[in-house]
Amino acid sequence: MRVQFVLQEIWIGLRRNLTMTVSLIITVAIAMALVGTGLLIRGQVNASKSYWYDKIEVSVFLCAKSSSNPSCNKQEATQADKDALKKQLGGMSQVAAVTYETKDQAYARFKDRFSSSPAFVNSVRSGDIPDSFRIRLKDPQQYKPVVQALLGQKGVDQVINEQEILKKFFNILNGLQNAAWIVAVFQLAAAVLLVGNTVRLSAFNRRRETGIMRLVGASNTYIQMPFILEGAVAGLIGGLVAAVLLVMSKSLLIDKLAGDLQFASQLGWGTVLAVIVLSVCFGVLLCAIASFLTLRRYLRV
Amino acid sequence: MIHFDNVTKSYKTQNRPALQHVNVAIEKGEFLFLVGPSGSGKSTFLRLILKEERPSQGHVHVAGKDLSRISNWKVPHLRRRIGCVFQDFRLLPNKNVFENVAFALEVIGKPRRFIHKVVPEVIDLVGLEGKGNRMPDELSGGEQQRVAIARAFVNRPMILLADEPTGNIDPATSIGIMKVLDRINRTGTTVVMATHDAAIVDAFRKRVVELEDGRVVRDQSRGVYGQAY
Repeated sequence: MRVQFVLQEIWIGLRRNLTMTVSLIITVAIAMALVGTGLLIRGQVNASKSYWYDKIEVSVFLCAKSSSNPSCNKQEATQADKDALKKQLGGMSQVAAVTYETKDQAYARFKDRFSSSPAFVNSVRSGDIPDSFRIRLKDPQQYKPVVQALLGQKGVDQVINEQEILKKFFNILNGLQNAAWIVAVFQLAAAVLLVGNTVRLSAFNRRRETGIMRLVGASNTYIQMPFILEGAVAGLIGGLVAAVLLVMSKSLLIDKLAGDLQFASQLGWGTVLAVIVLSVCFGVLLCAIASFLTLRRYLRV
Repeated sequence: MIHFDNVTKSYKTQNRPALQHVNVAIEKGEFLFLVGPSGSGKSTFLRLILKEERPSQGHVHVAGKDLSRISNWKVPHLRRRIGCVFQDFRLLPNKNVFENVAFALEVIGKPRRFIHKVVPEVIDLVGLEGKGNRMPDELSGGEQQRVAIARAFVNRPMILLADEPTGNIDPATSIGIMKVLDRINRTGTTVVMATHDAAIVDAFRKRVVELEDGRVVRDQSRGVYGQAY
């Protein structure tokens, strides 16, 4: 009896302010989708960070005939230069491991990485990519002294710290995440105000019923429950719409980004599901609390 | 059943208190007319019993309990034991007679089987046999007030408060309403009725409490409406 009665009251309430309800649902959906997207991006950043920090290398490209660096003097690095470099690297405390990559190996790796764009691969011949030392650091953050020591050494063309490249990339993702959250905050504020308005209208529409309920001694919870649940149901529907949007943003935005930018680690659907559950719960709670607080002002019990 | 113990009630917006030093004791099963001109404090008197207002001074006791000692969350339980009827009926226009009466039980969580047993009995008691599925706007004023009385009485309250229940109803129909209230009173329910209706008060010869400017100016058993001292 109770359950059916409450459900009926919620249905009546939502239907009576249909336009308010719809706008509330849309606002909540967008807010939750943005919060969720922010969370997904953050998850992606964290996952790729831990993946990349394992593999991060400082690459020391050696002089080749095509090098534009004047200190190379259009000369290939000699074997003596290479030996000296290797010895110096071996003596550095920050260095965990050094591998030497020949021109052939470099070309093979290049072909492999860009295998999806054959025209690009064909424009480069074996020998165009210089040989290099790949240095794995004990702590990827401690790259500065190593880079400083190597720059200007005989036979060294360029020192590339992969972390710098990754940093830019992570900065973009962090920016996206912050943008999503800033917009989400505004949407959330709008959602709270809309809940307030919806509940106020609803309370006004049903003042006869609530008046009678008060008179015949219905408990406060019983009088307030339909209104709070009304907010919660709108929040739930909004959250479900947000879930659809999140699935879309996973498959259209994150996966696409991952494809284009060669993320090593994909965000699994498990993470997406967790984010969805989290944002739906958040939406429902937010709406219910907002209704409750509004009720205290507009529904004297 | 209801005791007013030196009760004064003043509203912030008014200089003169709505009730001043009122002492009234109403016993279980009594039928009491509360008379007096508009603004004499009749409605405030009834609202104090429901704890819709609280006295500025003095104490109101209902069923042996001091209302000032009842916490807010227990007020609904107090109101379940008090039925209320108003001049303007206050029915829900989108519910039929049965649903209007059943509403009072639904919202205090009574089970469906109980409601289906009790509501028809009360509809019969107020003289609306067979009209359970009429809508309020299909009923006459007198019949609508009977529905309101049925709703107030369906939970078998100890006390029935009626605020000008015949105020919107013609004299002939009012007699019928009074008979219903009398029938309810005979079941042992205490009835307090605020009214302007001299003919009814004179005809029924019950206890009369007269208020004037918030003071009790007359408390008479088997009284008449006025000028009888």
